Amino acid sequence: MVTQEQILLYIQNIPPAPFVVKQTLDYVRVGDLTKAAKCAEEDPALKLYLRTLVNRPIYGFRNEVSDLSQIFSILGISTAQQILYNYLMTLLAPKEWGLFNLSSQAFYDLQASLSRKWAKILTHLNLLNHDNESAITLLPASIIVCDALFGEYKSEVEQLRSVKALDYNTILHRLTKMSLFDICTEIALKWEISPSISRIVHASSGLDQELAANDKILAQWMHLLLFYELSQSTYVSAGLNEFVEFQIEFVQEIYESFMQVVEYDETNG
Amino acid sequence: MRPTVKGRIAIFHPQGFLDGNNAPSFLTIDDIKATESLNIDMLLVSLKKVIFFNKNGLDVFIRLLDSIRSHKHIAVGLCDYDSAKFATINKFYGSTLTFSLFRTEKIAELFVPSNKNDSKTVLLYNEDASQRSAMAIELFDYGHNPVIAQSKKEFEEKKQSPDLYYAIIEETYLGLFGQKIATRVTGNAIIYTIANFLDAEITDTFNIAYHNNSLNVGFRLFIFDAYKVVSMNIHALNFFTKLASSAAEYNASICFVGLTFEKTPQSFKNDLEDAGIMFFDQMEDILKNKELLQELGGSSSSSSKQIRTLTKALINELPGFIDATVSTIAMMTNAQAVKESMNIQTLEIKNAANQYASSIGFYGDLDGMIILIFPKDIAKKACSLLIGEDSEDEEAILDSLAEFVNIIGGRAKALLGEKKNRVDITLPRTYADVNSLLEMAQNKKGVQVNLRFEGSNFIFFLTR
Repeated sequence: MVTQEQILLYIQNIPPAPFVVKQTLDYVRVGDLTKAAKCAEEDPALKLYLRTLVNRPIYGFRNEVSDLSQIFSILGISTAQQILYNYLMTLLAPKEWGLFNLSSQAFYDLQASLSRKWAKILTHLNLLNHDNESAITLLPASIIVCDALFGEYKSEVEQLRSVKALDYNTILHRLTKMSLFDICTEIALKWEISPSISRIVHASSGLDQELAANDKILAQWMHLLLFYELSQSTYVSAGLNEFVEFQIEFVQEIYESFMQVVEYDETNG
Repeated sequence: MRPTVKGRIAIFHPQGFLDGNNAPSFLTIDDIKATESLNIDMLLVSLKKVIFFNKNGLDVFIRLLDSIRSHKHIAVGLCDYDSAKFATINKFYGSTLTFSLFRTEKIAELFVPSNKNDSKTVLLYNEDASQRSAMAIELFDYGHNPVIAQSKKEFEEKKQSPDLYYAIIEETYLGLFGQKIATRVTGNAIIYTIANFLDAEITDTFNIAYHNNSLNVGFRLFIFDAYKVVSMNIHALNFFTKLASSAAEYNASICFVGLTFEKTPQSFKNDLEDAGIMFFDQMEDILKNKELLQELGGSSSSSSKQIRTLTKALINELPGFIDATVSTIAMMTNAQAVKESMNIQTLEIKNAANQYASSIGFYGDLDGMIILIFPKDIAKKACSLLIGEDSEDEEAILDSLAEFVNIIGGRAKALLGEKKNRVDITLPRTYADVNSLLEMAQNKKGVQVNLRFEGSNFIFFLTR
């Protein structure tokens, strides 16, 4: 099945962040949104992504927003950085998903939904800052990596799962001593994403020991948010409910607050 | 989502949130069909990784469980919950609870037949006296030793010494149980507990698949514990005579213990005896008589008198079986097993000590048995993906070895299916002591393939 060599090859083949995106991100980080918009204009794919994304119902704008400088000023620094990272992730996402029954649209929706709820959570926790807000964008990388590594071993995993309830992350770690979250850290390194972001995402596996207080809180909320999203019908049907193991004890203490923040209707369905 | 099958139990493991909106997405039509076709005695939904559920969400699974229970006569229910979830389930279903509740998977396993000879001592308490009795009877019939606490106070006192018990059974409920005939293993004998009036329904309640499994993995003595039987009719008589004829093919013995003929015609006894069934007054008459036990095939040292020879059709499938084994090892370890030698012979094991063995049988268009014998450290390596952390627990290693041969069995079944050979696979059997396997297989000729993996040898043996 998946070997360490395959993982190394996968990491090696991750393309570097495109120059235009990197530069746009640099402008955003220093708060120069005008220059960031100008820079983004040079990449038609990025331009289209931003326009399409911002005009999706989930962002709630009544009139179509098409001008990039307008888009960047609407988004603000944190959200602009978050969306640029989301864009980077889409570059890594496969055109055709092999393992999960996902479409590009469903993946974008997942990114958008995670980002929106994560912002609400950070506001509730009073931990809103640029890096914390962007941290959620790296999380779906674990799904992309999982699909890339296990896509050709679907039937083997099915056989394994027919005798034992093992998730993909556990299988990968037992086979290679590397987890999906370790690979996310490698991606972050390659794309020069802040180490604080990759640390939180790594901890969101719910398996890391000895976490700093704030990292633990963010990791708990991120873990529960991930499972909240992966429990939605679209992602259950896609097979995502089984991709990592839900660490229920890790999130038990924040469960009540989480339900209030995401305004979960307990009579659902 | 597909359930995971361990022994005779299949379990769904949903994670996260379970409500009326998302629950239908867990079960596609294919998932339902695949679950219905499983050869199991119990189907459960684990709530271990479910942080929130509401009634609409549970109902989706319960409807499937109820439908499978009604036409397959198996036990169904929920498992792996804490006290809060148990209270919520009771609040949702209250007195209308038709399915069972098992606090843990380990407790559920006590209520199904296995092919292990391990009587467990368990502490049992339920506020409802009828539930308490029902559970005690089931546990006893499955060969366990329930210690029943008659009051909450007694239970709390006894609970202080958890080491005395394999499991502590509380917050557990037996719903409409599977109505299958309880089965237990004693030594190399299988004991079925039958009761009341036996009629045509016995064809539904007797687990013929399990019986065939047992024959195929080498059990030769089957005892019907019939102390509680009042009478039987002609349909039950026909059933038992047919069972006796099929057992004769394997040179197996069928015995009745404690059956009285006050309300059953004496002629039935003659018919059953003509079919080869033997009658005894007490269970001890068989189990404590070593000579008789050996004669009947219930001693580990006995082996089939009728040697079933290898067939050409079976030999033709050998490369496929070896490939299934080698590819399973490659899948589980990312290391290659290499064939070193191959001979038609009786099973020959050098250094039987310090080895584990496991076997799985298949029957249908083709029948046979695959036996694997590993040095203990190699068995651990081969199963490390299933075991996880470096475990020294022999039971965990043997359980994983059973899962391992189950995958091989599944692959072999698929392989034969591609060639239009329909077979079913038996429950895997594991041996901590290879000598007991050697006693069972001592006269059996088969194909022995010596394979090398990670610097050590292990044996693949295909026989009938």
